[in-house]
Amino acid sequence: MKRRKTHFSVDDTINNFLGRPVRKIAIAIMLISVLFPLYWLASNSVKMESEYLRNPPVMVPSQVTFDNYRSVFSESGAGRSLFNTVVISVCTTVACVSLGSMAGYAIAKGKMNKKLRSGFSLWYMIQKMYPAVCIAIPIYLVMREVKLIDTQLGLIIVNTSFNLPLTTWLMIGFFQDMPEEMEQAGVIDGCNMFQRFFLLALPINKPGLIAAAILTFNSTWNEFLFACILSINKSKTLPVVLAGFMTDRGLEWGPMAALSMVLIIPVVILVWALQKDFISGMTMGSVKE
Amino acid sequence: MKKKNMLGRRLTGEPASTWFFLTPASLVLLITAVAPLCYSFIISFFEYKLNRPNAEPSWVGLDNYAQIFQQDMFWTVLQNTAFFAVLSVSLEIIFGVLFALLLTNNRKSTRIITAILLIPMIMAPIASGTLWRMMFDRTTGVINYLISLLGFQPINFLGSSKYAIYAVTFVDIWRLTPWVTIIVSSALKGISGSYIEAAVVDGASRFQIVKNIILPLLRPTLMLVLMIRFTDAFKVFDTVYVMTGGGPGNSTEMLPNYIYNQALKYMNVGYASALAFVLIGCMAVISVFFIHLRNKAYRSVR
Repeated sequence: MKRRKTHFSVDDTINNFLGRPVRKIAIAIMLISVLFPLYWLASNSVKMESEYLRNPPVMVPSQVTFDNYRSVFSESGAGRSLFNTVVISVCTTVACVSLGSMAGYAIAKGKMNKKLRSGFSLWYMIQKMYPAVCIAIPIYLVMREVKLIDTQLGLIIVNTSFNLPLTTWLMIGFFQDMPEEMEQAGVIDGCNMFQRFFLLALPINKPGLIAAAILTFNSTWNEFLFACILSINKSKTLPVVLAGFMTDRGLEWGPMAALSMVLIIPVVILVWALQKDFISGMTMGSVKE
Repeated sequence: MKKKNMLGRRLTGEPASTWFFLTPASLVLLITAVAPLCYSFIISFFEYKLNRPNAEPSWVGLDNYAQIFQQDMFWTVLQNTAFFAVLSVSLEIIFGVLFALLLTNNRKSTRIITAILLIPMIMAPIASGTLWRMMFDRTTGVINYLISLLGFQPINFLGSSKYAIYAVTFVDIWRLTPWVTIIVSSALKGISGSYIEAAVVDGASRFQIVKNIILPLLRPTLMLVLMIRFTDAFKVFDTVYVMTGGGPGNSTEMLPNYIYNQALKYMNVGYASALAFVLIGCMAVISVFFIHLRNKAYRSVR
């Protein structure tokens, strides 16, 4: 029941249900309200100190300077926290995708009875909903006990735990969509479960893997609560440094904007490059039956 | 049947492999998520103040829970959270669905607009909070400048207990309306064009088509989106933390921030754990409610 692409009238009917001019105006307002704040951030990050603190505000910087960027890297330790953020996000992504795709494959295609199968998938579904703040205390106490406070490893473990349910859930969906005949052909050819997983299921579901990876990467990159609780100094990530900026350095909009840009640009580039997979993963992860 | 049996025989080694595939992830979750949750649940029946030297948990039964409901602070916080959730989610749904309707097509311009819409959603909540804090600033903020151009008095958005919660809500709407748009848009693409063609043939106006055909068909998806957004709204933390820190006064203190403060600022572990389970309870009630609505909507569509 896919909509036929030749029928432009269908899209057109829905798009213009309030009339063409209203549509144009609404979209223009939306674009301005999304883009203007982003422009403001970007322009503040290249303004000189006299301009980002001026009242009334300066709309267009008279001179573009990269001093703010230099200052966050030399004074606020942006370099180190950028490095931490990259390491933590990459490791978490690798861990989540490998563990999650294995578990997803077992739940979708493995041999187990029906009750157990739906039990496991229910567990993973519920697990992706609980609020992280609820386990802040035990995690903090345990991490202190095993001396993982202020380490990258501690944050990798915590982030893996948060993102694993979603990754597994996504992979269950992708593996279930695989035609059953393919799996049986693999069995007839004498492949065991490992061979079928690595040679059949994974290569076919590459978009699924990419979707899971990019969602995990994005959420780990932006994660703040536990990065804040579990880091003192060495393992601070970019969001933690940015959140602490006000208390550390006061009202310096320029460097603050520059640090925000450093935090935003990598994920924007990554998500844009993989936009299709990102959107399909996001849709599947939330509204799939 | 025969074929299946033959396959079955070849699959004898499978259960072991299945468990091998399933165990690592499940173990990680058991240790890092289920066990801590159980610990939180147990400790919620104890009084345990970590900031006292040599603190030992002491059993208090349901006292922590009783205390929560007796405190005015909790009701203020719950009220703030509920206000924030209802206002932000309803506006996100309204705008999100509107833009999905306006933007679901295969044009190139739509792809570019979608790419732009993705930015608020994927940027760190800490960054969007910072960005808006900058814009809402009383003296150097651009919002007040624009207000003054329109001839109004500047408003101290984040410094007044009246406006701060609206500012926080607004940022959430800015950030997550695109999410609703994208999810609803993908549901719209799944609606068969033949319904609409039939309606066009019958002479229905565009507005009637959207109102009487499209929106009812979207109902199940909307219920699910409502559920996800509502439960997520109850988890709001980063935006509040960076924009107002719960202030001024307690005017923007939400449940997660309250739990965070009780747990890690005042080290009141037992009480905070009880609060955490009240939060989980709230979310469970919301989820069940919306799943029920969704199933009802789904049946009516069928």
